[in-house]
Amino acid sequence: MTRLRLHWEAALALAAATGLWLLAAQALWRSTHLPSLDLPHLDPHRYFNSAFLDHSSSYELFLAIVGVLSSITLVVVLAIYARRGASLVRESAAGRVGTGMLLAMIGFALVWLAQVPFGLATLWWQRDHHVSHQGYLEWLLLSFLSLGSVFVFVCVGVAIAMGLAGVMRSWWWLAAAPVFVGLALLFTFLSPCLIPNTSPLHSPVLRAEARALERIEGTPEARLEVEDLKRSTTAPNAVSTGLGPSRTMILWDTLLNGGFSRSQIRFVMAHEIGHLAHDDSLKQAGWLALFLIPTLGLIAFFTRRRGGMAEAEAVPIALLVLVTLELLAGPALNLVTRRQEAAADWAALEATRDPAAGRETMRQLAIKSRSNPDPPSWIYGLYENHPTIMQRIAMAEAWKAQDSE
Amino acid sequence: MNAIPTDQESAPAAPIRLTIDDDLARNRLLVFFRLIFSVPYLIWLAIWAIGAFFAAIGNWAATLFRGEPPASLHDFLARFVRYATHVYAYLYLASEQAPSFSGRPGNSVDLEIDPPRRQNRWTVAFRAVLALPGIAIVGVLAGTGPTSVASQSGGQFRSLSLLVVAAFLGWFYALIRGRMPRGLRDLVAYALAYAAQLWGYLLVLTDRYPTSDPFALLRSLPTRSDPVWLEVRDGLRRSRLTVFFRLVLAVPHLVWLTLWGVLAALAAILNWFATLAAGTSPRWLHRFLAAFVRYQLHVSAFLYLTGNPFPGFVGAEGSYPIDLHVGPRQRQNRWTVLFRLILAVPALILAGAFSGLVGIAAVLGWFAALATGRMPPGLRNAGAFALRYMSQANAYLALVSPAYPYSGPCLEQAPAPEPTVPGP
Repeated sequence: MTRLRLHWEAALALAAATGLWLLAAQALWRSTHLPSLDLPHLDPHRYFNSAFLDHSSSYELFLAIVGVLSSITLVVVLAIYARRGASLVRESAAGRVGTGMLLAMIGFALVWLAQVPFGLATLWWQRDHHVSHQGYLEWLLLSFLSLGSVFVFVCVGVAIAMGLAGVMRSWWWLAAAPVFVGLALLFTFLSPCLIPNTSPLHSPVLRAEARALERIEGTPEARLEVEDLKRSTTAPNAVSTGLGPSRTMILWDTLLNGGFSRSQIRFVMAHEIGHLAHDDSLKQAGWLALFLIPTLGLIAFFTRRRGGMAEAEAVPIALLVLVTLELLAGPALNLVTRRQEAAADWAALEATRDPAAGRETMRQLAIKSRSNPDPPSWIYGLYENHPTIMQRIAMAEAWKAQDSE
Repeated sequence: MNAIPTDQESAPAAPIRLTIDDDLARNRLLVFFRLIFSVPYLIWLAIWAIGAFFAAIGNWAATLFRGEPPASLHDFLARFVRYATHVYAYLYLASEQAPSFSGRPGNSVDLEIDPPRRQNRWTVAFRAVLALPGIAIVGVLAGTGPTSVASQSGGQFRSLSLLVVAAFLGWFYALIRGRMPRGLRDLVAYALAYAAQLWGYLLVLTDRYPTSDPFALLRSLPTRSDPVWLEVRDGLRRSRLTVFFRLVLAVPHLVWLTLWGVLAALAAILNWFATLAAGTSPRWLHRFLAAFVRYQLHVSAFLYLTGNPFPGFVGAEGSYPIDLHVGPRQRQNRWTVLFRLILAVPALILAGAFSGLVGIAAVLGWFAALATGRMPPGLRNAGAFALRYMSQANAYLALVSPAYPYSGPCLEQAPAPEPTVPGP
């Protein structure tokens, strides 16, 4: 094991950097305002019948177990690849950076291959519970072909990291982090144009309501789109994305045609507009920066034995470090997104002043997605990037109680 | 230097061999009415085919039972295959000599077929299934084409085989010049030779699987020194892992190629004006477009499994084992520059037909390489042959080369150094 020897100056610099990092994280955390509520623990049986609770519990448990096994496989595959992947250098005639790109792509290709059984198991489970309509072959083909777009981003990332490492040697990561954050912002800006099967929201009623909510929540008008997903899933959803002039709210057609009332759709829109009003895309870029700086630094540290990121042979190790840190950071990042989602829920309650709609929306979302309203804490910690349905219902009840006081 | 290694050089001669004794001269009148003159031969071929069908079943059963085709049936079917080759060589202008109705040897484009030999009974039993890859290749080489290609308007059209395109272009050329171009004649002969080997395999005349290697199918090939030529230094080993993911691994290259292609199209237009004015391409444009054409070849070779390693992103000469050498810029005839787009149309049509060949070679090669970790030499060389033509067509279109692409298989060597145009 490599012994880390730090001179006291280096230790001081590291401590100062850690302190700065913590200060930045604290500032970013506080930038999402959430009233300090003492949410009551509600009994799920008051809102859902026992059959549904049992059903959703087993449904989510299976998916969570598949998720854990999939993550373990992912790390094992990448660990093996980190040991043996460098020999694939001989399959390239693309020079230093091109070979690094190839090794990165092969790493992700192997990960895809290893995760196919888990993906198929998940699809089988979702089909069995009527959450997905997608065929196995269609899923396999789409999933395989989507590797192509993943590879484009992987190549850009590797080219930047290796290009910078070629010039700056072991300090490349300091320059790479802002470049990656810049690219993430660019991607967020362009993302509304990259989402397929979208069309403008035509309903004049919903458009008028969205505009009214934007005025209430104090945010400029965003583009309103509908995404056609009914052929692949029955789960309802909505997303907000984009930056500045590209800010867009996208409603899934499964929400618009999924038996939700007008007030419930209005609540969902208010929630998404809440995200736009809170600039959550920008804040996520901030969190990405905070994640990337130590992650890239650790990649630079762990790849030293293979000549650093400037060498193609180091890429398999870099992948292992990146993915492992991403998995480890997952629960912490879930904390952040859960806070942003809770703040958006609160904004929706304030804007609509309709806690009944909020409560019923959450109930419907859970039923349509077979989502466990009150999952075990390990699933909550590892996978939930939203508050639980019961927490969200509790927030609606808390808002109602506060409003009536 | 032999540009494409002929891995079959030391292999025993194929049991069905095409021979050519043709001086390329064509009678314009006979060429003009070639289709009509061929009708009686085609009718006779159709009648003969009915008998050959039943004879083939008998030959299959007898060979399965005895392990060797009976001499009489073998002779009958060999004559049928030979006659079919004569007819199609005549129809598609590879031969000027009208076929005899007997299928006896003696035509200027002829077949040598070995006498019956023992065959592996297992391959006899499953002959029709085993022949499927060969049938797919013959569809691209000599059929109406098994593939449909979506047109831009959303409609569909059937792709034309190399044989049909070569004959169609050769018909115009022969009418004007009174001779068949060597390249097109050899291309037709290549397709006929493959079809003959496939028929021989299907009709159980031989158990040797047909090879699509143009260098093995045609015995006397010209040696050429074109300004744009292909060099193959790659072996046949393939990494199963990169073969399996070949399509998606090529995506970043295809994205980069598209972006570069936009610039290259603008540069080609600029090059057209500059060459029309000065008689030669500006040095920097020549270098830029040559690198683009070379990069296009590298990416295609990787995508279509003609080459094994992952290529670089800059199209550098010598960086890839399937490489395109582009000679220095040369003075070009301004008339051919002025009408380059029109002049390139036949080459582009033929390049389209060649894309079918490289495509089918890639699909079949993908399965073969996944199973064996090795690309069959016939498929590799057929792909390289197609890519060479396509690259030459691209170079001609972009005014990188004044030489019209050569459509036949050939041995290539580096051109002798020519006086290059002095720089500005």
